[in-house]
Amino acid sequence: MDLILTDRHLPSLSLPDNTPVIHVAEQKIAPCVGCFGCWIKTPGRCVIRDDAPAIYPAIARCDRLLVVSRLLLGCYDLPMKRLVERSLPNQQAFIRLHHGESHHVQRAVQPKQLTVVAYGAQDQEERDLFRRWLGRNSLNTLAEDYTILFADSEAQAEELAGKVVRAWVN
Amino acid sequence: MGKLMIVNGSPRAPKSNSKLYIQAFLSGWSGAYELYSLTQRRQEDCLASLEQCSDLLLVFPLYTDGLPSGLMAFLQALLAQPPSHPLRVHMAINCGFLEPSQNDVAVDMIRLFCKRGGHSFGACLRISCGEAFPTTPFMAIARRKLRKLASAIAKGRPVQLTASMPLTKRMFLRAAQRYWLGRGRSFGVSEEEMSTLEIEGP
Repeated sequence: MDLILTDRHLPSLSLPDNTPVIHVAEQKIAPCVGCFGCWIKTPGRCVIRDDAPAIYPAIARCDRLLVVSRLLLGCYDLPMKRLVERSLPNQQAFIRLHHGESHHVQRAVQPKQLTVVAYGAQDQEERDLFRRWLGRNSLNTLAEDYTILFADSEAQAEELAGKVVRAWVN
Repeated sequence: MGKLMIVNGSPRAPKSNSKLYIQAFLSGWSGAYELYSLTQRRQEDCLASLEQCSDLLLVFPLYTDGLPSGLMAFLQALLAQPPSHPLRVHMAINCGFLEPSQNDVAVDMIRLFCKRGGHSFGACLRISCGEAFPTTPFMAIARRKLRKLASAIAKGRPVQLTASMPLTKRMFLRAAQRYWLGRGRSFGVSEEEMSTLEIEGP
């Protein structure tokens, strides 16, 4: 299954009919409150019943994921970062060793090929920091097969997203 | 130095480990300070009060390998509405993993914030094993380091500190398992239920 998460409209994107595109900034996604309910009270389910519980299972299931996001301080900007935080039900509370480091055990999360089209970086330092952040986060999301495409503008981000989708189709 | 603004960047500030770490920090702090929690929704008041502060201490958990989104929003607002003078920015970050180095990317995000806002990066404490830390006798280690952090900030020394439990990987995994099972039991949730692979049901 393919999935596209984006924080901006991608009107020029030509997609196969069955590819879900979620405009994350238009979803009602409250910040995670850090209650750990999804680990210890209702395992696998977030206690906040807004739009996030319809999205994080799709993130877990997909085997190809395209994320289009603005950057903020070397990370995804707030709409996408909030969704990443609200995807905590995809993990268990329990900890395992992964590549020799402690990380949370995953639930039914499909190992995935992740492509990130990142725009809005102000300089090379921010790009390098984002690369490091995604490298760490990919260990906790089974997305270790990842590619980052940096765009200098929103228009270029859309163009790069189009190239990724065309490569999927072909 | 002037007044210190302490910001609790935890999304569950009133019940957070960050709150306990702030209390431990204050036991070693004798200067003037103000305390603000991001859950209080008084961001404008905090930004205005920073005009009277020389130093800012951010205390927060590592959140999905970076800064909690609430703290990111606060820093974004601070970049948009900066005080008329540069701040010295300090931090105490805690993560639930064994390795303090898992905090490093988030530390560099705060460094980038400082660079963007023209502020200077000061003292830093990286705490690991954070979730269970305050419930163990090892909290004395964290308390000692937090008092060291307080002393360093007061003296203007940009120290880099770490606090961790003296556990092997195997011991840490066992201790974490016990800790989380206990949290689950308090809601009547079994190990089998906590280990479900299902997300939002079958």
